[in-house]
Amino acid sequence: MTSTLFHPRVLTALALLLVGAGLSVTAWQGPADAMLVPRFVLAIWCAAALVVLIGELIRRAPMPRVSRSPLPLLMAAVLIAAVATASLGFLIPVLPLVALTLWLFRVRQPLWLALGTLILGGGLWFLFHHVLLIRLPTLLTNGLI
Amino acid sequence: MDIVLAAAADAFTWQALLAIVIGTWAGIIIGGLPGLGSVVGLTIFLPFTFGMDVITSMALLIGVYCGSVYGGSITAILINTPGTPQAAATTFDGYPMTQQGRVGEALGWATFASFFGGVLSCVMLIIGAPQLAKFAVNFGSIEVFALVCLAMLCIVGVSQGSTLKGILCGMMGFLFSMVGSDPITGADRFTFGQYALSSGLTLIPVVVGAFALSEVFVRFASRDDEAARIPEARLTFPGLRDIGRRLIELIRGSFIGGLIGALPGTGAAAAAFISYASAQKLSPRRKNLGKGEPDGIIASESSNNAVTGSSFIPTLALGIPGDVVTAMMMGAMVIHGITPGVRLMADQAQTVYSLFVVLIIVNVAMLILSKPSVGLFRYLFKLPQGFVMGGIVMFSFIGAVSVRGNPLDLVVAAVTGLLAYVLRRGGYPLAPLVIGMVLGPELESSLRRGLLISRGDFSAFFTHSTIASVLFILIALFIAGTLWSGFTQWRKDRAASESPAA
Amino acid sequence: MNALRHSLVAVALVGITQSAAADNLDIVVPFAAGGATDIVARSFEPIFSEQLGVTSVIRNVAGASATVGTAEVADSEGNPNIIGYEPAGALSIQPSLKDLPYGPDSFTYVCRTVSNPMFLMVSKDSDIDSIDQLIEESQEYPFLYGSSGPGTLPHLAMAALTVKSDLQAQHVPYSGSGPAMNALAGNEIQIMADTETILENYDLKPLAVFAEERIEGYDDVPTFGELGMQDLDFAVWQGIVAPKGISQERADEFAEACRATVESDRFETFADKAKANIAYLGAEEFEAFVARRVEINKQVLKDAGLAE
Repeated sequence: MTSTLFHPRVLTALALLLVGAGLSVTAWQGPADAMLVPRFVLAIWCAAALVVLIGELIRRAPMPRVSRSPLPLLMAAVLIAAVATASLGFLIPVLPLVALTLWLFRVRQPLWLALGTLILGGGLWFLFHHVLLIRLPTLLTNGLI
Repeated sequence: MDIVLAAAADAFTWQALLAIVIGTWAGIIIGGLPGLGSVVGLTIFLPFTFGMDVITSMALLIGVYCGSVYGGSITAILINTPGTPQAAATTFDGYPMTQQGRVGEALGWATFASFFGGVLSCVMLIIGAPQLAKFAVNFGSIEVFALVCLAMLCIVGVSQGSTLKGILCGMMGFLFSMVGSDPITGADRFTFGQYALSSGLTLIPVVVGAFALSEVFVRFASRDDEAARIPEARLTFPGLRDIGRRLIELIRGSFIGGLIGALPGTGAAAAAFISYASAQKLSPRRKNLGKGEPDGIIASESSNNAVTGSSFIPTLALGIPGDVVTAMMMGAMVIHGITPGVRLMADQAQTVYSLFVVLIIVNVAMLILSKPSVGLFRYLFKLPQGFVMGGIVMFSFIGAVSVRGNPLDLVVAAVTGLLAYVLRRGGYPLAPLVIGMVLGPELESSLRRGLLISRGDFSAFFTHSTIASVLFILIALFIAGTLWSGFTQWRKDRAASESPAA
Repeated sequence: MNALRHSLVAVALVGITQSAAADNLDIVVPFAAGGATDIVARSFEPIFSEQLGVTSVIRNVAGASATVGTAEVADSEGNPNIIGYEPAGALSIQPSLKDLPYGPDSFTYVCRTVSNPMFLMVSKDSDIDSIDQLIEESQEYPFLYGSSGPGTLPHLAMAALTVKSDLQAQHVPYSGSGPAMNALAGNEIQIMADTETILENYDLKPLAVFAEERIEGYDDVPTFGELGMQDLDFAVWQGIVAPKGISQERADEFAEACRATVESDRFETFADKAKANIAYLGAEEFEAFVARRVEINKQVLKDAGLAE
């Protein structure tokens, strides 16, 4: 029984239900006219999440095999780079992210790794920021990087 | 007649033709790159138009616009990642076809359907712009509400596997669209006191996260698996007999797109979903939809490209921009001293006719340039997987942050990417998330405006006008039909499970 | 191959020199590219940067009724390389309506560029010909007026009118002037307050103008003052602001370049085409003008029950 409770699918459904319930509290505290539609939407959300949760509990899908994979590392890198952009500008957080992506996707030769990082990370940034003048977030106030 | 010839002469200058070729090709590539869509494409090219004459600058912008709507289908088919939100519905059948090794056929149908939809909507624009514009004016808030309700129901149709999970995701998308200021009272919603959130969440970062970034995460697990490689892109045009067999599908998709495009504020992504839902009810091969059926690609691609032509109807006939893209086009007209407005057709007939000619040439150019564009993507996707994935991450980041220059959008994309990965693993369909986000704002604001207009009386919606009544009856039929087919399916399943026991 | 390499190097060098040379000025436009404000800003930008002797880039930072881009300018305190091309709403309405990270005193004011008075208008085939008739007919059944969104100038002007006259009308916001015009064409709403551009483009009937004096070209359209309704003065204006904390010298440079730009023939030709009414105000006058508008708008919002 405990193994079913900790099944990722059950946890996902439970999390969705909890988030829906949490947002419902906000919606019911807010002004009635602005929150009219959100209340409807959240009611459907919570009802659907509840039925999905019950469904996942009944079905008892087999526990997926847990394998160690560096995927969480990639996810964390994407998230950190995205957050860091606001303060560090676009180029600096993106270079290590591209390098890590290449590395994890098996581009391991130092030359290709360096070249790929420079062209994909630096090159595309340069193309958009300096040539096409689609301004990306910057670190320095004069917009150089 | 003279004016038509003069207009054609304006459109057939070498500058205009060059602008069409460059714009269309760039548009296809920009649209094909995940993360970069029509708006980024037009923002890149808008500054270049300042030094050009009117027709050339329009040719460039229209080329980028039409090209990007088509280009989104290439990556949708090849790697299950729509290059633009408009192509999200193309993944339903496009990617299964790729998995079955029918890449060439899938891309061929996408290209031909895009061309067909584009040209048919040009014809609609040329023949019926004033009439269609008059018809569109009848769509007030209440009629739009009914139409969007009908469109929302297609969430049920595209939720393969679990309808409930689809509805849940649809509501999630709807809620995403509500973050920020309320469109009617201006009050902040779901911002939790954070100023950064008051600008709300926009579509592109969410689509980038839900499709592009989550696809990178999903492909990560199979990175050493040769069988999971991106297949080589090919393009085989459908034969005349095949086209004949599916002509009804092409025409229906194009008409749906053409009509939706004429209504201000609905857009190509909504048209594609509505058209796909109607194919699910009406196509003779509807049983195969979602499993790699060309009709699905036709429904999506013919309608989203049909929007490109007809979105000019409100712009040209009334001066009301149909969407962000036509709004940008109107801006470019103003720079060149043409005032868009109710008198545009009368005052600037020659320019308007030239625009029609340009639109048709752009669609032909799209058909011709499809081969080299697909060839380019074949070349790109042949690179080692790491470079492709690194490129997708980069373009996703650039696309998300450049939509409106807000670094918060990048965080939104990243968080949506993680969330979408968890949801995909849990068997939740992601298309409803996009549908909820595309249609949600229109559904809500038209409902609230409708309530203001009917002084708070919802029952007045049903009898407000003939159009509204017809649409509400269609909604009732749709719900009844879905419930009925669900019920018969359930009885069949039960009979099947009982018969072996008996 | 060699030629290709050379041209690539050339492109790269052009790019570097373009953006690294001297100072690079970011002009923030708090709307998406292609909008009405963006178009004016994009025509303003090349002349302005020429006058200033720098290269400049338009940055579209859109969202939250233009306050995100405006906040970005306010947030760059002391940065001499950023200015904002701002609409009236973000500077003079939003701060009183919402809790924003900036206020009217977060900027170094540079200049006002254009200002277009607003008209009260109805559909051309409406049988209403005067304000008095409008007010009278509204007593039986209240009218609906549209706007391009809650807290925008069209909303504010109409809200002020309903407070200061007996007009019975209710607000229905749309997601921009275009959709509102569609609603007016379909008779979903009956009244709209907006500028001359809208009036001309959509062929509407003006009933009165929200200005102190009659407008050239519309000599038979009365002002609200003449009709006995005082202090109804609303215009859609745009102006340049820089962040606080820049040197007086830099501020003067900006102000001088702005004056020269607005007075240039090129900008005048454009403004004429785009029906943007040039209305230059220098730094001090602009600052005083914004401060006055903020007070007036705050009072309107209070009277109409839209803000405390």
